[in-house]
Amino acid sequence: MIGDRRALKGCPACSRAVHRIVIAAIVGAVLLPIIPLAVWSVSHSWFFPQILPSELSGRAWAYIGSPFSKVLSALANSLLIAGLVTAVAAMLGIPAGRALGLQRFKGKAVLEFLILAPIIVPGLAVTMGIHVLFIKLQLVDTLYGVALVHLLPSLPYMIMVMSGVFANYNVEFEQQAFSLGAGRIRTFIHVTLPAILPGVVTGSLFVFLISWSQYILTVLIGGGRVITLPVLLFAFAAAGDNAVTAALCIIFLAPAILILVFTSRYLSGESGAMGGFGRL
Amino acid sequence: MNKGLSLLILLAPALVVILVLFAGGLALGLSQSLGYMPIIGAYGFSLDAYLELLGSPGFLPSVLLTIFVSVTATGAAVTLAVITALSLRKHFVGKKLVSFLYQFPLTIPHLVVAVGMMMLVSQSGLLARAAYRIGLIGDSSQFPVLVFDDLGIGIILVYIWKEVPFIGLIALAVLQSIGNDYEEQARTLGANSWQTFRHVLLPLIVPGILPGSIIIFAYTFSSFEVPFLLGKSYPAMLSVLSYRLYVDVDLDARPQAMAMSILIALFVLILVVIYRRISEQLVRRSA
Amino acid sequence: MKRKSVVVFFVLFLLATGLWAGGKQEQTLPFEQRYMSMSWDQIVEEARGQKLYWYMWGGSDLINRYVNGYVAGRLANEYGIRLEMVPVTDATTFVNKVLGEKQAGRDSGGSVDVMWLNGENFRTMRAAELLFGPYADRLPNMQYIDESDSSIANDFGYPVEGFESPYGSAQVVMVYDSAKVPKPPSTVEDLLNWIRANPGKFTYPAIPDFTGSVFVRHLFYYVAGGYEELLGPFDPELFDAVAPRLWTLLNDLEPYLWREGKTYPETHTKLQDLLANGEVYFDVSYNPSEAASLVSQGRYPESVRTFVFDSGTIGNTHYVAISYNSSSKAAALVLANLLLDPAAQYEKSRPEVWGDLPVLNVRDLPKQWQEKFMRLPRSSSVLPPDVLSSHKIPELQATWLEAIEKGWTENVLQK
Repeated sequence: MIGDRRALKGCPACSRAVHRIVIAAIVGAVLLPIIPLAVWSVSHSWFFPQILPSELSGRAWAYIGSPFSKVLSALANSLLIAGLVTAVAAMLGIPAGRALGLQRFKGKAVLEFLILAPIIVPGLAVTMGIHVLFIKLQLVDTLYGVALVHLLPSLPYMIMVMSGVFANYNVEFEQQAFSLGAGRIRTFIHVTLPAILPGVVTGSLFVFLISWSQYILTVLIGGGRVITLPVLLFAFAAAGDNAVTAALCIIFLAPAILILVFTSRYLSGESGAMGGFGRL
Repeated sequence: MNKGLSLLILLAPALVVILVLFAGGLALGLSQSLGYMPIIGAYGFSLDAYLELLGSPGFLPSVLLTIFVSVTATGAAVTLAVITALSLRKHFVGKKLVSFLYQFPLTIPHLVVAVGMMMLVSQSGLLARAAYRIGLIGDSSQFPVLVFDDLGIGIILVYIWKEVPFIGLIALAVLQSIGNDYEEQARTLGANSWQTFRHVLLPLIVPGILPGSIIIFAYTFSSFEVPFLLGKSYPAMLSVLSYRLYVDVDLDARPQAMAMSILIALFVLILVVIYRRISEQLVRRSA
Repeated sequence: MKRKSVVVFFVLFLLATGLWAGGKQEQTLPFEQRYMSMSWDQIVEEARGQKLYWYMWGGSDLINRYVNGYVAGRLANEYGIRLEMVPVTDATTFVNKVLGEKQAGRDSGGSVDVMWLNGENFRTMRAAELLFGPYADRLPNMQYIDESDSSIANDFGYPVEGFESPYGSAQVVMVYDSAKVPKPPSTVEDLLNWIRANPGKFTYPAIPDFTGSVFVRHLFYYVAGGYEELLGPFDPELFDAVAPRLWTLLNDLEPYLWREGKTYPETHTKLQDLLANGEVYFDVSYNPSEAASLVSQGRYPESVRTFVFDSGTIGNTHYVAISYNSSSKAAALVLANLLLDPAAQYEKSRPEVWGDLPVLNVRDLPKQWQEKFMRLPRSSSVLPPDVLSSHKIPELQATWLEAIEKGWTENVLQK
């Protein structure tokens, strides 16, 4: 740590100034795109070149709260779908992660590639292909169909996180529980689960946010019938109503901020995991 | 229960979902791109869709634009990530708050960033108004065109905003694991801070952030939402082009849409293969 | 004795079942084959309990409120019908949907019931036999519609023939900021002169935007010296004679346009942003009350006004249509009829609701409705109905549109 504070050869004041500029730039750059959202959502008229709106109004928020705007039902849909996707991803991903994390077997590398590929290959491309199948199976225009297609980009994340967790997991505790007479379920609940819980939570938050943020997959499979928050948001952004768009953005942002606060408090130090959020 | 069976039970549910959705989706897309589309009565096998696509006037400009946007966004994000990581590893007043803010972009959905960026950098956006106030411009048309523009600058800015913390956190982790020893040695040998960075730190950071950079590049290349909102309609980025072909009322355009999707998927998969090989090499090198 | 009563009972049971099944049989005939012989009350009765999905443009909070609030409320309370509005950004979304369903053989239980349809999309769907009808004559409220009005009987020159029913009307107006343009031009010639004298302050949305397209069509009428010869089916020779004059006019105009015509705003929304922020001083709109709505939302400054050309502006009608595979056709008919109800048309015309022009022939209405419509308050940026109707000129057939749009892309945009 001494090196940090030792004066560097050349220009100590310069390097401190550069450092300050960088820090200020970070703070500014992060906040800058968010500020107009907050202000637009409560503005009535805000023309160029006004720095602040000339008139404020609650029109956008009143519209959002009204039953005619479908915002509340879109919010409910988004939450429902994201919750469903999270639950299914956990049920599928925990065992898969266990297999990948704990065991070595032939073809494991290929399998890992297959499982991680959906993260990289764009969801739109795959969904355009699977769309026909969904139509045939009458999964289009339904909430469940949309939830199913949301699994595509999100399940691999859960598997990835869980396999990382299980790689560091000590199976012996389970074996000890068995030898003490505990059944499978009791072992799972009292031994396994507490150990893997942080990973499950991390993975679940990933999956939730991924599903929450989906737009084009919902549009394609939902067929306009399943209306989630991002769908509404896009419609208003395209129609140019800045106030309503901004207000919708703020609602849309809320879980993301909550999750960020939660993870930075309780799941500190997992920079790799946090970085994975950047895929949203 | 034997090992193989228990393995199967653990993996099967997830695998089935991924196989059906992902592999199935790609396979169906591929077959449709090759002309097998019962819905319009086409049962043929042909490369027509690919040829028409490659020959269409909008294709090359789209490819060039997409590459430009991805390269610029990735390059700028990586550069900024390294610079900010270098500053963030120091101790300073308010480090906790700044670190929290630094991670803020990670969870924000791309659509929100796109909307916010539009309100910030459009010719009648917040920055333009500030420029007017301080006399830099006399009219909104004098502010540079950053959204719905030919170079996709607004789109690039959105991706930079989202990706800097992603790479930055990795860079920070690498820097922390390196420690200060190398730097101190370099300084005792008389190197200034730039030389230290260029010849000591950078070579140590690059292997760590290279895989992440490739991921960002692949992601930006195939992205849809942001260019759909902020992009000019001609030339369009590749994913937007594929979507437009897909929803065209003329169902004959659909094989072309699939062809485009397959091409994008192929390109990205190749990138992933490169990423894995580089990762393996790095693992071998550090071992 | 016992056996006989069992037999009798059995026979009666069979008879009853037979009658019941036969009755059921009659009811399971598809609606398309029964509606012509049903009375309106029977249709209303069958519609009760049905659920409707109405696919329409969803970018206006005012329209959404009218449909989800007033219309849906009346349908639920008076007819027991559940209305679900499905917002779309682009009409081709649902055209594509119904088309895809037909191709997949899904001839009943379609996902789209009612659509807000116009022009080219109507023609596409008619040609592909995707619409239910003819049904308009079954609607009692059609009595208030002047069916001899060619702009109602034809949707972009394509005869409606009852496969659509009207519910509102539109007319192009030029929008301008009176604070920047105190004396607006009143003819096309004057507008062109103004543009040349004030470079950089005018533009129009790039085709294929609907609004940009209609603006270019006004100039097409101008270079053709009038629209009379252009009505009727597409005439390639006439087009080839007139069109080059249009491209020359537009290309010569480019240096005086915003950004010197090197780029055009991609959508009407973007043009509206330009006007709102003072980058240009004019807008073109298909809705005479749109400017007033935007002022009330704070999107336009209060100095915004509208005008029409002395030579007239193009007007058309908005329609709803019913998909061929809808399973709620009875309810769809009830909706179409409700939209033509004088009370619904009045509510829609109120400026704080939507401000959309009524499509009813006001003179055919009962006296108290006539008075109500006459006394509708109007904001200063909305032109009086008689000015609008006396300056209304018709649309061209869809084939002309396609030729003009294609020609613009080739001759103006890409030059």
